Amino acid sequence: MHSALYKRLLRMLHLSRWRLRSLFTYICFTMLKGKRPNEALLSINIFQRDLGDQNPLVRAWALRTMAGIRLHVISPLVLVAVRKCARDPSVYVRKCAANALPKLHDLRLEENAAAIIEIIEILLNDNSPGVVGAAAAAFAFVCPNDLPVIGRNYKRLCEILPDVEEWGQIILIGILLRYVIARHGLAKESIMASLLPNIFSNEKTGSESDTGYLEIKKTYEIVLQEPELVAMVSRSYLAGPDKHLLHPNNSDVISSDYISSRFTSSKTDDNVKILLQCTLPLLWSRNSAVVLAAAGVHWIMAPMEEISKIVKPLLFLLRSSDASKYVVLCNIQVFAKVMPSLFAANIEDFFISSSDAYQVKALKLEILSSIATDASISIIFQEFQDYVRDPDRRFAADTVAAIGVCAKRNPQVANTCVEGLLALISPKSINSTSGSMDDEAVVLIQAITSIKDIIKQDPLSHENAIIYLIRNLDAIKVPVARAMIVWIVGEYNSIGNIIPKMVSIILRFLARGFPSESIETKYQILNAAVKVLLNSKEEDFDTAKSILNYVFELAKFDFNYDVRDRARVLRKLLSCYFSSSGLEEKPNNNEIRLLLVEHIFGEKVKPSTEMVNNRFYLPGSLSQIVFHAAPGYEPLPEPCSLTESDMVKGLEEEPTQAEANDSDVDSGSLNEEGSYYSEDSVTASTRTDSETTASESDNNNTDSLINLSDVGKPQEETNDLGELMSKGDLESWLDDNDNPGPSQNVAERVPSARISIGDISTRTKPKIYTLLDPTYGNGLKVIYKYSLEESAVSPPLVSVDTFFENCSSYSMSKILLTNEDSESSDQGSSLESQKDVPVFAPMEEISILEPGQTIKRVIHVHFHHHLLPLKLILWCNDKKHPVKLRPDIGFFLKPLMMDLDAFSQKESQLPGMFEYTRRCSFTDHLAELGSDGKDGDVSPTKDSFLIICQCLASKMLSNANLHLVSVNMPVDVNLNDASGLCLQFSGEILSNSIPCLVSVTLDGKCFEPLNASVKINCEETVFGLNLLNRIVNFLAEPQLTT
Amino acid sequence: MLEKQLTGHRVDRSICAWFWEQSISQPDSFKVLPVIASPTHYLFQIVREGITFLACTQVEMPPLMGIEFLCRVADVLSDYLGGLNEDVIKDNFVIVYELLDEMIDNGFPLTTEPNILRDMIAPPNIVSKMLSVVTGNTSNVSDTLPGATSSCVPWRTTQLKHANNDVYVNLVEEMDTIINSDGVLVKCEIFGVVEVNSHLSGIPDLTLSFANPSILNDVQFHPCVRFRPWESEQILSFVPPDGLFKLMSYRVKKLKNTPIYVKPQMSSESGTCRLSVMVGIRNDPGKAVDSLAVQFQLPHGVSSANLTANHGTVDILADKTCSWSIGRIPKDKTPQMSGTLVLEEGMEQLNVKPTFQVDFKIMGVALSGLKINKLDLKNLPTPAHKGFRAQTEAGQYEVRS
Repeated sequence: MHSALYKRLLRMLHLSRWRLRSLFTYICFTMLKGKRPNEALLSINIFQRDLGDQNPLVRAWALRTMAGIRLHVISPLVLVAVRKCARDPSVYVRKCAANALPKLHDLRLEENAAAIIEIIEILLNDNSPGVVGAAAAAFAFVCPNDLPVIGRNYKRLCEILPDVEEWGQIILIGILLRYVIARHGLAKESIMASLLPNIFSNEKTGSESDTGYLEIKKTYEIVLQEPELVAMVSRSYLAGPDKHLLHPNNSDVISSDYISSRFTSSKTDDNVKILLQCTLPLLWSRNSAVVLAAAGVHWIMAPMEEISKIVKPLLFLLRSSDASKYVVLCNIQVFAKVMPSLFAANIEDFFISSSDAYQVKALKLEILSSIATDASISIIFQEFQDYVRDPDRRFAADTVAAIGVCAKRNPQVANTCVEGLLALISPKSINSTSGSMDDEAVVLIQAITSIKDIIKQDPLSHENAIIYLIRNLDAIKVPVARAMIVWIVGEYNSIGNIIPKMVSIILRFLARGFPSESIETKYQILNAAVKVLLNSKEEDFDTAKSILNYVFELAKFDFNYDVRDRARVLRKLLSCYFSSSGLEEKPNNNEIRLLLVEHIFGEKVKPSTEMVNNRFYLPGSLSQIVFHAAPGYEPLPEPCSLTESDMVKGLEEEPTQAEANDSDVDSGSLNEEGSYYSEDSVTASTRTDSETTASESDNNNTDSLINLSDVGKPQEETNDLGELMSKGDLESWLDDNDNPGPSQNVAERVPSARISIGDISTRTKPKIYTLLDPTYGNGLKVIYKYSLEESAVSPPLVSVDTFFENCSSYSMSKILLTNEDSESSDQGSSLESQKDVPVFAPMEEISILEPGQTIKRVIHVHFHHHLLPLKLILWCNDKKHPVKLRPDIGFFLKPLMMDLDAFSQKESQLPGMFEYTRRCSFTDHLAELGSDGKDGDVSPTKDSFLIICQCLASKMLSNANLHLVSVNMPVDVNLNDASGLCLQFSGEILSNSIPCLVSVTLDGKCFEPLNASVKINCEETVFGLNLLNRIVNFLAEPQLTT
Repeated sequence: MLEKQLTGHRVDRSICAWFWEQSISQPDSFKVLPVIASPTHYLFQIVREGITFLACTQVEMPPLMGIEFLCRVADVLSDYLGGLNEDVIKDNFVIVYELLDEMIDNGFPLTTEPNILRDMIAPPNIVSKMLSVVTGNTSNVSDTLPGATSSCVPWRTTQLKHANNDVYVNLVEEMDTIINSDGVLVKCEIFGVVEVNSHLSGIPDLTLSFANPSILNDVQFHPCVRFRPWESEQILSFVPPDGLFKLMSYRVKKLKNTPIYVKPQMSSESGTCRLSVMVGIRNDPGKAVDSLAVQFQLPHGVSSANLTANHGTVDILADKTCSWSIGRIPKDKTPQMSGTLVLEEGMEQLNVKPTFQVDFKIMGVALSGLKINKLDLKNLPTPAHKGFRAQTEAGQYEVRS
C-alpha cells in the first residue's frame, strides 16, 4: 500500500467511529505487517486511548484489535492491556481479555509465558461463568499440561461448569477430566479398570482385601464380553494407540503395585464424584458437542453400571444435523464394540432410514451387527432382509457382509444366515438382474464371501450349502464369484458324504470349460485339482490324476503367461505323481517335494479371528473420526502423575489470586454476576467442602505476596521425571563449543555473496538433550544429541549420539537402553515387521562405568515420523529408569547435495499444496552484531550481512540435518537493510528419500530483530508442515549463551 | 472476495480449491462426509440449502464443536437474512462479515446467542435501508454493549417492554416411523419440540409442568432451563429469551399406533411391474389429517412409469421421484394410486424395492399424548395472556415395500 494512502488512513482512524477502526486496521495490518511495522505502530496509541473509554464495547474492541495485530514489537503493550482488562468491571471485556491470551501466546515470546499463565489463572478464578469459559479455552491453548493451575480451583470449576456457556463447557470438561486422572487416577469401577492386574488373574481370590475387586470383577464380566478389546481401548486412551501398538504387552512390564496404586474409586472419591455429578445435567444440553464431551467423561470415569446414563442422550443426538449424526455414530460405534450390552436394548435407533447418507448407513450396520444378541438377532435379520432389497446396491452388499459378521458372532443363527444368503444367489434372482450387472455383481460376490466365511467356522455342518453353491456354479457368471466357489470345492473336497463323490464330476466339468474361464477362475481350478489329487483315495486317484494332467496340458497353451507358469511349477512339484517322465533318479528329492506339496495344499484353513480396527482415540476427538492421531492429540495423562507437592506449591500461591480476585474483580463487578443454576445444583456436602477450602485460603491471606514471576515453572523441582521430560520448555542443553570469533570467519570472506559450507559446519552446535538427570538416576547422567552422520545400521534409522557419564562416587555396571517393552527380545525382527511404529535398535551394553568416566554410544532409532517422545527403559545396576527420547524432526532428514539450478528447478516442481510458509522473528544476530560492532555502522555493510547469514545458517544447521545450497543477497544493497536476504537449504527425508527444500527469507533492518519467512517445498505434506513448525520454533527461540 | 484470517497461522486459500476439486471429482460420497482429512488440513463441512459451510483446523479439536458452530452460523445467517442462498449472502455481505466477526474470535466462538447478536448488529430490513439511504449513516452496528452480555441470563435482553404481554406454548411433534415389508411396525417414535413464543416485559420467571412427564424418553433443554427442578419434580423452570425459541426437545419412544396406514403392493412379471398404493385412516386422531403426500424414488432399471390415482395428483419429477399428493382424505372413498412401471430391456423383474416416504400434518393434536398441565408466570408487572397449541407432522415416516 502506498505510504501517502496509509497516512490518510491513519488520519481517518483518528476521526472515524470506533467500530470502523477495527475494520480499517485489520485490512491495513494484514497488508503492512510484513513491510512496515514501524508505521503500523503509529496507530497503537489510538487503541490505547480506547482502552480507557467509558463504553465497555469500545474497550473490548480495542483490545481485540490490538491483540489481532500480532506484532512482536507491541506484545509488551498488549500484555499490559490484557492485564488491565482482566480486571475490568465488565464481564464482556474480561472475556475478550481471555480470548486475547492465545493470540499473545501465538507470538511465542518466552518472556511472556509466565505472565500469560498468571492472567489465565486470575481469569479462571473469575466469578462470571462466561469469563471462566473463555479462560478455559485460553488454558487449553496456552498451557494444557499445567494442571496444578486447575487443581487450585478444581471444585469451583466443577460447580460453575453448568453455568459456563456451551463452547467453554466443551473445553472445560476435557481439562477437568485430564486433571482428575492426573491427580487422583482412574476409577476402578469404570471400564478403565481392565488395566487392573487382578481383574483377570484369579491368584489372590482368597485374600480378604480383594473382595472389593472381586465384586468389580463380577460386574465386569457380566457387562463386557471381550475383555481384551476393552483392555486395548483403555490402554489406547492412556498411551495413545501408536505407542500402545508398539508395546502390545506392556502391561506385564508394569508391576501390579504400580497399577493398583493409580486407581481411585468413583464411588468414594469426592473429586471424581463431583465431576460426574456436574457433568450429568450437561447430557441434556442442546449442543451436541457438549453432550458428547460429557458422555466421554462418564464413559471413562463412571462406574460401569452407571454408564447407561449416556445412552439416551447419545441416541437423541442422532436426531440433530446430518453432519453431527455421523460423528456421534462414529463414537457410538466404539462404545458399542466395547460394551455391546449398552445399546442392546436400543436396536431400533440404528435401523436405517432411506434418507440417511451412505456413510451413516454403513456405520449403523456395523453397530447393529456388533450389538446383536440372541434375543434381538431375529428382528435384526428381518431388517437386514429389507436392506438387501435396498435400491443402493453398495449398501445392500454391506448388509450381506454384516449378515456374515452376525453369523460368525452368533453361531446358532449361522444356518439361517446361510439360507438367506443362498437365496440371494439363487438362479432366479441372478437372472432377473441382468440389466444392472455391475451393481448386482458386488452383492453376489459379497454374498459368496460371507458364505465362505461362515463355512470356514464349521465346514461340516454346512455341507448342504456347499452342494447348493456347486449346483449353481453354472448360473453364476461373475468371475470373482466363480473363482471363490471353485476355491470352496477344492478346500472342502473331502468333507461329508456327498461332496467327495461329486468332486470328480465337478472337476471334469470345470476342466472341460477351462479355456473359456477367466484368469482368476483358472488359478483356482488348478489349485482345486491339485488339492483333490492330494486328498483322493485309492479308487479315485487315477481319475484325479488324469483330470489334473488334462488341466496341465490345457494350461500349457494358455494365453496368459502367469497361468502357464503356475501350471509348470505345480507340475514340477508334483512330478512324483506323474512317474511317466524319467525323473526317478533322486527318490529323496521326491520326498521333499511331497512334503512341500503337503505343506502348501494340505493345510486346512483355520477360522480366522476377526480383525478389529485397533486404533482407538479418546471419545469425541477428531483423531477418532479420521483414525490417526491428529497433530496436537494427547492421550489422557499418566494417572496420578500430579503429586501432592505440586499441589502444595499451588496452595502457597493461592492467596495471591484470591486477593487479586477479591480486591479487583469483586469491587469492580456489580451484582450482575449471580450464578443462575449453581445455587440449587450444588450439593450440601460439596458446599461445606468449598467453604473449608475458602477459609483455609483466607488464613493464608495474611501471608505476604509471593513473588509471582515463577508461577510459570512451578514444577521444575517438584515434578517427577516423566513430567520433566515431557515439558518442552524445560529442555536443557549445553553449549560447550565456544563461539569461534566472528572475525575469523569474516577473514575467509568470499567475494561473491556465498559462504563456504565448511565454514558453517564448524559453527554448528547440535542441541543436547538430557535423557536422564543425575538426580533421578542415582548419579548417572545421560545426555544425547542427534548426530549428523548417516546411521551405520540401516539408512532410514536416525542415529543419536548418547553420552553416559557417571557423576557419582561409585562405579556402575550393566548400563543398557532398551525398548520399554523389554520382553520382546528379538529386536531385529521387529525392526522389519512393524511398519508404522517407532523402532529402537538394540544398543551395545556398557558393562562398567567408573566414577567420572564418560562413554559414548550411538543408538539408532527409526521414528517413522512420529513426533511423540519414545519411551525407553534405561537399565543400570539392574535397576530400571523410564526415560523418554524426544524425536527431533530436523534430524529425520539427511543433507541432499544439489546446486542452485537444481534447487530452483525442484522448487518450481513443487508449487501450491506442496508449499507452506510461516513467519517468525529472528534475533540471534543482534548479540553477535552487538559484540562485534560496538561502533555501529563503521564496519562495512557486507560484514553485518555475513554475520546474519552465519548466525542463521549455523542455527539452521545445528537444528536440522540439511545442506546449505546457496545464500542470495539482494543486489541493490541498502545500508543496514537486510530485506531480501535468502538462504536455501536442501535435504531428503530419511525414510523415503523424498526431497525437502527449505528457503529462509529475511526482512528488516540489520540491527533490529528480523522477520524471517520460512518456506518449505516438500511432497510429503504432513512431514513438511511438522518440519516447518519445528524450524519456526527454533528460529524464534532466543539464542542461549553459556 | 473477502478473507479474514482468524488465527495467526495463515490458512492458504488453496485449501478451498482443493475442496472444490475433490467435491467435483467425487460428488456422491464427498459431499456428505462431514469430516474430511485433506493433505494439509482437517475440514468440517455442513451443507445448508445448497450452501456449503466449511471450517478447517490443523490440530486436534472436538469435531462436533466445529460442526455445531457451523450449524449455529447457518441458523443465525438464515435468521438474519430470511433464508439462505447465494444472492442473499452477496447482497448482505457486510452483515455476514460483521456477524462472523462477532461470532468467532481467534478460532473460538465468542457470541452465538441470537438475541444478543440482534442487539449488537441490527438485522437488515426495509426501514433501516431507507434510513441509511436518507441519512447517509451506513452502520447498522450498535454502539452500546447489550446489557445481556453481563447478566446472569445472557440470552435475555434486560429492560424489555411490551405493550401486550403474551406467551404462547406450542408443541410441535414429528413422527418417525418405519414399517417393514411385511407391514409390521418396527419403529414408531415421536420427536417433539416445545416452542415458546414469549413477549413479556421485565425479567419473568416461568414454570411449565406436564400432566404426564413420565412418557418422555429423553429430553434436551435450552440453556435457560434450570436443571434441578427438572431432576426432582420434572417441571420446567426458566427465564425465557424474548421471541420464538425452542424451550426443550423430547422424544417419546415405542408408540404402538400410527394415525394412517399406507399399503404398497408390487408384483412384477415379464418386464413390467404392477404397483398399487392404498392410504387410509387407521386410528382417527380426532382432528383432520392434512396435506397428506406419498413420495418414492423410482428404482434403477425402471424406464418409464404410468401411474394414476383416484384422488389427488401424481407427479414424476426429473430425478425419478414420484410424488403423490393427496391432501385431505375424502370421506367416501379410499385413496389409491395404481399403475405399471415399465422395466428396461432385458430385465425380467424388479428385485429392489423402493421405500415410500409419507408426509402429513395434523393440527391441534400431539400424538405422543404429552399434555401440558399448567404454566405459571411470576415476576410480571401486568398479567399476561397465555396460549397453547399443538401439532403433529410426519418426520421420517417410511413404509418399505
